[in-house]
Amino acid sequence: MALVTILDPSSLVGSTTDDPGPDVQWLSGRKVGIRVDILWRSWDWVAEEWARLLEADGAQVTTWRAQGRTGEAGDKTLAELSSLVEEVEVMIVGLGNCGSCTSWTIHDAVFAAERGRSTVAVTTRHFERLGRGIAAQKGRRGLRIHVLPYPLDTRPEAEVRQIARQHYPALLKRLGVDV
Amino acid sequence: MIAVLPPRNANCTVERLAINAAMTLAPVEAMPLMTTALEAMADPAFALHALNATTGSVVPALIVNGPVARQLDIPAGAGCLGGVAGAAPAIGRALRLVMRNIAGQLIGVTSQSVYGQPGRVAGIVFAEWEEMSPWAPFAERRGVSGNAVTVYGAMGTTNICDLVADTGAGLLEIIGKSLAYPAANGFLTSSAFSETLVAVNPVWAKLIARDIPDVAEVQALLWKHATLPLDWWPEPYHEPFEKAGRILPGGTVPLVPSAEHVFVLVAGGEGNLHAAALHSWGDTRTTTRPVSHAA
Repeated sequence: MALVTILDPSSLVGSTTDDPGPDVQWLSGRKVGIRVDILWRSWDWVAEEWARLLEADGAQVTTWRAQGRTGEAGDKTLAELSSLVEEVEVMIVGLGNCGSCTSWTIHDAVFAAERGRSTVAVTTRHFERLGRGIAAQKGRRGLRIHVLPYPLDTRPEAEVRQIARQHYPALLKRLGVDV
Repeated sequence: MIAVLPPRNANCTVERLAINAAMTLAPVEAMPLMTTALEAMADPAFALHALNATTGSVVPALIVNGPVARQLDIPAGAGCLGGVAGAAPAIGRALRLVMRNIAGQLIGVTSQSVYGQPGRVAGIVFAEWEEMSPWAPFAERRGVSGNAVTVYGAMGTTNICDLVADTGAGLLEIIGKSLAYPAANGFLTSSAFSETLVAVNPVWAKLIARDIPDVAEVQALLWKHATLPLDWWPEPYHEPFEKAGRILPGGTVPLVPSAEHVFVLVAGGEGNLHAAALHSWGDTRTTTRPVSHAA
């Protein structure tokens, strides 16, 4: 009888944790970083609304814009991210609203979470599954992900800002703020 | 281990590559080429995690230079971008299987590609026709002499056809202008960086070099012509271009940041009439490595 050996063409992946990281608990006096990018005007509007509400709740908000990701520009972006994460206690990272920008969103969120920051990544509904999958593959299956409606970027500014305000309480809950 | 490949961030070993290559009947002699190509794709500058996840149609194309291209029968002439019998589709397919089986790139799951492209099936694997090129080999111009592989994030292949131009300058003008369309990757207001690649057939290359022997000048002319007036875009696009500092003094927007980011090489059949443009994806940076591993 012939013996047939079937070889596995795939590879095993490393372990992943369900730990979402520390809860924020309270906002007053906390330093919060919001990461925006150069892709989504809608995310700029959401970030502005959330920054205003966070500051009204006593937080100190720094908004940082991620730009080039390769070459010297990429080195500069990573250095800026690193500095921001050093400064803040809480990171809100978005927006996962396409394939690559979801990958970069999770990349930056995991970067912050691994440094012990209370972190939430933000995606739109269509890209939630991708975001959760990438987070798990990066070893952070428990990464907090807040999901905004999809599509988002084609909605009028006033509607997007209203969505941001409506989502604010849920964002705080996801971050573990004691409301 | 060859490399850690995203999105799964799995270790790609020589053994796992060989298993995938065996399924496509890729020649064992191509293992050094495939190994080097995977190492190049894993270079952080190539941003493979983003490339594999994107909504775009991008696939890493392989451009082979040096004697290894002949040894492996990698096509450089007629039909080099697809359709020639030989090992290239098997090599390309093996690397595509590595992306699926090891890296974990799955359409609808970890890849959000809206359309994909034919190159995602059996890759885009071709060589430069160095013997027919009036210029130094492409990889050598990128700092790697001899056997080399360049990985380039290709959104697809675009044909450029012309029957009128009879000078080098005329050809470069029509090719350059053909590279520039408003929604090309390089014109995305979110593209902090981009490249573009032109494969010129040997007949056109000879004509171009007759008039413009310096390839750097060829690149400069292509770059100059691959621009569009700002007013080709609707008003909402103007502010992002201004903020990104993308508008030239004459009120035009270049496809790529500078002439060095217009890659030119010689490939294709001697029937001439056509060039091929391969636009880059995102801000992925092209990576060239020497093929030097023992088979």
